[in-house]
Amino acid sequence: MTDVAIQMDAVWKKFQRGERHDSLRDLVPAVARRILHGARPAGELGADDFWALRDVSFEVQRGDALGIIGHNGAGKSTLLKILTKLLRPTLGTYMTQGRVGALIEVTAGFHPDLTGRENIFLNGSIIGMKRADIERRFDAIVDFSGIGDFIDTPVKRYSSGMNARLGFSIAAHLEPEILIIDEVLSVGDYTFQGKCIRWMQDLLKSGTTVIFVSHNMDAVLSLCNSAILLDHGQVTSKGELTKVVGDYYKSGGRWQPQLLAQPNARTVEFSCAHGTDVLVDPGERVTFRHVISASANCELTPGFFITRGDKPVVDTTYARMRGHPLRLREGETATIEWSLGFNLPAGVYEIGYHVGDFGGGYHEHQSRACIVTVGDDPRVKGDVYVALDLAESTTGVRSPSPARLGAGAS
Amino acid sequence: MLAELKSATIEVWEHRELLEQLTRRDIKLRYKQAAMGFAWAIFMPCLIVLSGLIIRFAMAQISGQTLQRVDIANIAIKGVGWAFFVGALGFATASLVGNSNLVTKIYFPREVLPLSSVGAQAFDTSIGLLTLIVILPFLGVRLHPSFVWIPLLLLLLVLFTTGVSLFLSCANLFFRDVKYIVQVVLMFGIFFTPIFFEPSMLGARGAHLAMLNPLTGILEGLRLSVVQGHNLIYPLSVVVKGVERPVWEPWELVYSGICAIVAVLGAALMFRRLQHLFAEYV
Repeated sequence: MTDVAIQMDAVWKKFQRGERHDSLRDLVPAVARRILHGARPAGELGADDFWALRDVSFEVQRGDALGIIGHNGAGKSTLLKILTKLLRPTLGTYMTQGRVGALIEVTAGFHPDLTGRENIFLNGSIIGMKRADIERRFDAIVDFSGIGDFIDTPVKRYSSGMNARLGFSIAAHLEPEILIIDEVLSVGDYTFQGKCIRWMQDLLKSGTTVIFVSHNMDAVLSLCNSAILLDHGQVTSKGELTKVVGDYYKSGGRWQPQLLAQPNARTVEFSCAHGTDVLVDPGERVTFRHVISASANCELTPGFFITRGDKPVVDTTYARMRGHPLRLREGETATIEWSLGFNLPAGVYEIGYHVGDFGGGYHEHQSRACIVTVGDDPRVKGDVYVALDLAESTTGVRSPSPARLGAGAS
Repeated sequence: MLAELKSATIEVWEHRELLEQLTRRDIKLRYKQAAMGFAWAIFMPCLIVLSGLIIRFAMAQISGQTLQRVDIANIAIKGVGWAFFVGALGFATASLVGNSNLVTKIYFPREVLPLSSVGAQAFDTSIGLLTLIVILPFLGVRLHPSFVWIPLLLLLLVLFTTGVSLFLSCANLFFRDVKYIVQVVLMFGIFFTPIFFEPSMLGARGAHLAMLNPLTGILEGLRLSVVQGHNLIYPLSVVVKGVERPVWEPWELVYSGICAIVAVLGAALMFRRLQHLFAEYV
């Protein structure tokens, strides 16, 4: 008995662009063409075909959590649809061991005219729950969703958040052996999201195998223990989490700033003492070295910035720090060191730099030079890392068995 | 082939609670926020019977006869059967495309979607049948041993309807004009199926042609066993102007039965073989 829960072996999936005879009228010429030219073998591409997945292979052990990441259109959804039996691979084989449950579009089975109660039974049976199971977990589902008294109201009167919460709650009580999750953590408000993450961590502890697809790298990092990166249908990186996440950030193309047609300065080196993909402890001080050489006289204002997801976290320039530009003559080279303490919450941060011209525009702009992953300090939560300490002293008469409150208790 | 049908049956059986839930949903939705409520269930059969009566009245006027109470019973019983067939097909044809959000997102045996349409229509029809049971005694129908044929005939009607429903729902997923073709065919199908008339009215050859419609054997069988008290094992004919015209021939029942079974097995097999394409094509 192996302990493999999911195995994909060289899976290819072909899709067709455009031309799909949607009415019987178009069928006749299409069939005639097919008879004349013969059917195409599965492994060959026609003019309008493309591979949505190419030679995808991976394995997930029972109880593991695999993150699937990649940019839009990389084939993540296609892969999930194969795992959930919605699509059949064109070539290759896969197997799943155990009951598969999916948290994908959790409200797909809802009917707006039916009440929350009716939809729990309907949606529950659509995703594969037995009625007895639904009845047994009914109160828990309602409780988890926080819908409360609105349970007998038609769901068309629900807000979209209530809708999603109810859908998620139903799916969360399916108790599958393999759970496939596609970007559902974004439902509901802050407290509900917290509830979902706790629920997923519990699932993982209980030995459920999880496949997690997300654009939210923080969520991937906190839930998964390995990942694969898909790019145009191919697995371009797999294995250790921080490496795959780093590759994801490096592979992405994004908005480009206005670059000068004739750059006069370029970066010779931008490095971190720890390497390019860095794991640091919260609060740790890290230094980045930036070496710039000029090919003509110029006034520069090199910049340094950190983003998380798409949100800027830190942004500064030489001119802002010093109050004057960095003046370089032709052939000169300058070395700048940016040093900062990562007093930031656990997560993935992209370190970028640019060589801006004091007159406007950029000689160079690189938003993903390094990836820094800030580790978790389980003792403290918050939006900034403030190196919180706890001190204590006790006065008065000590009781015979002192109840010791450890600093680690939270 | 048998293995595929077996796996289809097993999978649908395992999802019988889902089938029940979807059928309930379809029924609830027909009566929720509906002005007519349960009257809707007998609205369609009533319309069919009324149109039949007008046609029969016109025919009686031409031939100088009067309309019999038993004629109303004849049309009513076939009208309810036809209403079931038409209603089920109408809903089932659109069932896969209409639930495309489910088909593309969640896996379950897709057969349950057209089946639940047939189930919901069966619920409506049973209301019509109950109404019929109340009315028929007033139209001169008496209890008769030939009633034993009724369950078999209803079963054949359901089987045949299910087969055609599975086929059409699947066809409509791939070719969106199927829905319109079905609408037109059903609109005029009532003239190609002996609802308003009896096959024998078409003459000897016409009667045999009409019997080629698989529904003829089922609906005529229902009419003869309920209204005429005729045992379907024996043939029945009328003599009009010295020429013998068939009213019932036992092979009709065998023929309809074979058609129903072939339809349901063939459609189920086709459905099974194509359903892995549904999510991609819908």
